[in-house]
Parts: sequence; C-alpha cells; structure tokens
Amino acid sequence: MHPTDRLRPAVAHALWHLVLAGASLAMAFPMLWSLLTSFKGPQDVFSPSPLPWPATLDNYAAVLSSWPVGMLVGNTFIMSAGVAAGQLVIAVLAGFALVVLAPRMRPAVLSACTIALAVPPQAIIIPQFLLTTRLGWQNSELGLIVPQLGTSALAVLLLVEHVAAVPAAQIEAAALQGARPIETLWHVVLPAIRPAILAVGILVFITTWNEYLWPLLIAPRSHDATVQIGLAQFQGEGGTDYGALMAASVLTSLPIVVVYIIASRRIIDSFIKAGLRP
Amino acid sequence: MTQKAGWRPYLAPLILALAVWVYGPAVFTAVLSVMKWNLTTPPSGLVGLDNYASLFRHPEFARAAGQTILSALALLPFATIIPLVLAVMLWQRPGRASVVYRALLFVPVVVAPVAVATAWKFLLNPLQGLMNRILEVFGIPPVNWLGDPGTALLVLVAITAAKVVAFNLVLYTATLSGIDRALVSAAELEGATRWEISRFIVGPHVARTTVVLALLSVVLAGQWTFTSVSVLTQGGPDGVTDSVYYRIYALGFQFFDTGAASAAGVLVLLAFAVLATAWSVVRRSRRASH
Repeated sequence: MHPTDRLRPAVAHALWHLVLAGASLAMAFPMLWSLLTSFKGPQDVFSPSPLPWPATLDNYAAVLSSWPVGMLVGNTFIMSAGVAAGQLVIAVLAGFALVVLAPRMRPAVLSACTIALAVPPQAIIIPQFLLTTRLGWQNSELGLIVPQLGTSALAVLLLVEHVAAVPAAQIEAAALQGARPIETLWHVVLPAIRPAILAVGILVFITTWNEYLWPLLIAPRSHDATVQIGLAQFQGEGGTDYGALMAASVLTSLPIVVVYIIASRRIIDSFIKAGLRP
Repeated sequence: MTQKAGWRPYLAPLILALAVWVYGPAVFTAVLSVMKWNLTTPPSGLVGLDNYASLFRHPEFARAAGQTILSALALLPFATIIPLVLAVMLWQRPGRASVVYRALLFVPVVVAPVAVATAWKFLLNPLQGLMNRILEVFGIPPVNWLGDPGTALLVLVAITAAKVVAFNLVLYTATLSGIDRALVSAAELEGATRWEISRFIVGPHVARTTVVLALLSVVLAGQWTFTSVSVLTQGGPDGVTDSVYYRIYALGFQFFDTGAASAAGVLVLLAFAVLATAWSVVRRSRRASH
C-alpha cells in the first residue's frame, strides 16, 4: 500500500499540488523570471523581488527602436513556414504513397526515416554546409529552408499512421468512381487528416523557429539572420543591458509558447495516434 | 486501392530530401574524413586514417567524448523516472489544475534554447545574479557558475535536464492517455488503491516506453546541450563543457579543419550505429513478448 493512501485525501491532494506546483515553478522559472525582469527599470533589474514595481515598458521601447525585431521575426517566420510547408507536402505525399499506392514499401521507407531521425545533425553538417554554399544559397531563405527538409522523417512517421487510419472503404469508393490518386488524396485523405496536419505543421514550425546551428552557419549576417542568431548576438554585444535583453528574449519566444499551449492537446493526440502507445 | 503504378512521384520528394540532405552527407562525411582538407584551400589528397590519429593524439576529443557520455548518464533519471512520476500525477487527477500545471511543465520544450541560455546567464551573473543573491542569504560566498570548471558542466546538464523532463513528459502523457479509463474505474470499484492502480495498470503500460525514452534522450540530449554550450561557455572553462557535438563544430568552423571534423563526425555516427543496434534488439524483444 502506498503511503499517501493512508493519509487523509485532503492531505494527499495538498501534497499533489505541492509537488506539481514546485515542479512547474522550477521548469518555467527562467522564462517567468525573464518575463518579470523585462518590465523592470534599470535600477531594479537585479532586484531579487519578483514583482516588477514600478513596472515600465521602456525595455520594450528600447528593443523595438534599436533592434531590427521586425526583420528578424520576418526572416524567421519565412524560414519556419517554408520548412513546415515543405515537410508537410513531403510527408503527406509519402504517407499517401506508403499507405495507399505502395504499401509494400512501407517498412523499408519508415526504417530509413527512423535512422535519419537518429543521425545527429552535427555529424553531417560539413557536407550539408559545403553543398549549400556550392549551390550559392548562403544568406538566403533557400539555404535556410531546403536543407532543413532533410528532417522530414519525423513528420512522415507521425502522419503515416493518420493516413492509415482513414477508412479504406472511402479510398476504394473514390477509386471505383474513377478518381485519380491525386484526387483521392485531395478530396478524401486530406480532409480526414486535417487536424493531424495542423498539429504536425505547428510542431515543425516551432522546432524550426528555435533552430540555432543551421541559421548560424548559413545566415549569420544581421539582415538575413533569424531571431535566435539575433538574440545570441545581442547578448554577446550589449550584454550589460539585461532589461532590454530580457525584453528581446520575451518578444522572440512568447508567441511560440502561446501557440504551443493552444495546440498542445492536438500535438499530443498526433503522438498518440503515431503509435507511441506501447 | 491497387494502382501499383504511379507511386514514384509521391515518394520521390521524401527519398530525394533524405538522400541529398541526410544519407548523402553521411557518406560524404566518411569520404572527407580520409582527406586532408582545410575549408579555405582545395582538398589535397588522401591521408588515410591521419585525421583519426590526430583526434586521438590530442586529448580534447577523448575528453569531449567522455563528457558527452557522462552528461547522457546524468540525464537518465530526468529522462525516465522524473517525467514518469509527474505524468502519472497529472493523469491521476484530470482537471483544470492539471491543465495549468501541464502547460507550465511543457514550457522548456518550446522556448528557444537561446532564450533559455540568456535567462540563465542573467540568473547566474557572478556579481549580482539572483542565484548568488540567494546563496548570500545563507551566508555562502558567490559562485562563478559558468566560469568555474567545478560548476559549469553541472549548470549545462541542469539546463538540458529541464528540457528532457518536459519533452519526455509530453511523450509519457501521450502514452498514459492510451490507458482505458473504464479499466481504472472498474479497479477503483473493486477497491484497488491508487498505488495498486499505478503498479498493475500503469506500470506494465509504460515499462517499454521507458526503455525507448532512455535511449532517445541519450540521442537527443547532447544535441540539445549544443546551443547552451555555444551561447554560454563555448566549451570552456578549461574545456569542461565541451562535447563531441561542439568539438565537430569547433574543428570544422573555427579551425577549418574539415578532415578532423569529419573524422569526429564519423566516430559519432559509429557510436549511434551501436545505439541503434541496441534499440532494434529492444524492439525485437518487445515484439516477441507480445
């Protein structure tokens, strides 16, 4: 018998809150503290008091006027949306092929995806870099987006199970009515897996938004850079203005956190369906 | 549907992406590892295993490898037991409080590693940072967290640990939501305690996920540490926060020694091949036991 079962339920419940509240605080603390600090004036930046009082928006004003936030966010948005769209196209086409058109290929291709997923990016980054520069794609969105389509494996593994869950009868009915495969994909499969596509798309978007090493190598110049590179450089140069630094950090990560919290239910559902159940 | 023809254009983009950006580069890394090549000059021919020999001649690589393995081992509890306990607790009492806790616990998964590193640099500021202020209250002298070889690796492991806990919490949550609630209700009606439910229903359900997660986190953790190392310590002080991943980057893009960096890349790939073999053995035993 577990010890908590002997305690009164109210005590067990309080203990439950204590552990989870403590863990939540520990996990979210650095970002919560960054958020609070970003509203503190220069005299309070290092104050151990959590509440920003008197609160100020000066840090945000300073960042927005001295840091090319709009451009960095724009670059990062184009890269993340491009990679998410590209990976979704690749994964939906592949998922359809592996489930409907050529099911006998499925084990081999999914194994190739799993292996690709396990390859550490640093181990193959030199040839990737050489190829990208030979193609003349340095400092360009092409160079940021296309090589990152190589990590489509996860999107494929997640989406193929969703395609497999579309009732075979619906697909066969479309074929019997003379639909070409592309029409079946468009009119039958796509509507059925739309929630999964959205969830996987958001997951890829967030991962790409946070990517650091590849943009660092391909687009380090400030006007082509992504928010991560900009933030790292900002931190390296003006390391003393912590209020502004925290405001910059919040501006570049908060939107992503909000998107994730809204979408997390769906993302978890897509993991469940992809066979994470033992 | 039995249209055997016509699958090629659907599969081609994936095959092309994997071949050009993953498998091709893996092969090319092996080729580069036996060549003498400085990124700034053209390749000047085969040198056999010289690049590998040079890696082992200098102590940095072996040290980085040791630290990578050490960090991975230190992260094992954060990959398994800690997220499992948290996930089971959240699963036991579904409700509004759980939703709030879950959202907060997931934060490290999604926040950019650069932003997290920036926050820690601020919190660990040796002169006025919050961490040293707290120590001061207890009469402990200030610590130069990131500058002291005794604490720097610990800090980087802790930063990565938060991300590993959060990531695996997502996966455990997904696994647990596959448990039939009706089964749990039935057990409760029969008078099963919460502990018995955890032991006899949840336990068997998550056992194999735990093995997979332990391996997965070993695979991913080193890569996740890369950004923190790059932003906070660049492998220092005294090389204590160096890892094989950072070493490849430093050799290739700071010393422009393409050959040595590629040799290091091949050694990492070989290590992963061993891990992957272990993984497939686990999977096979999993299938056999079903």
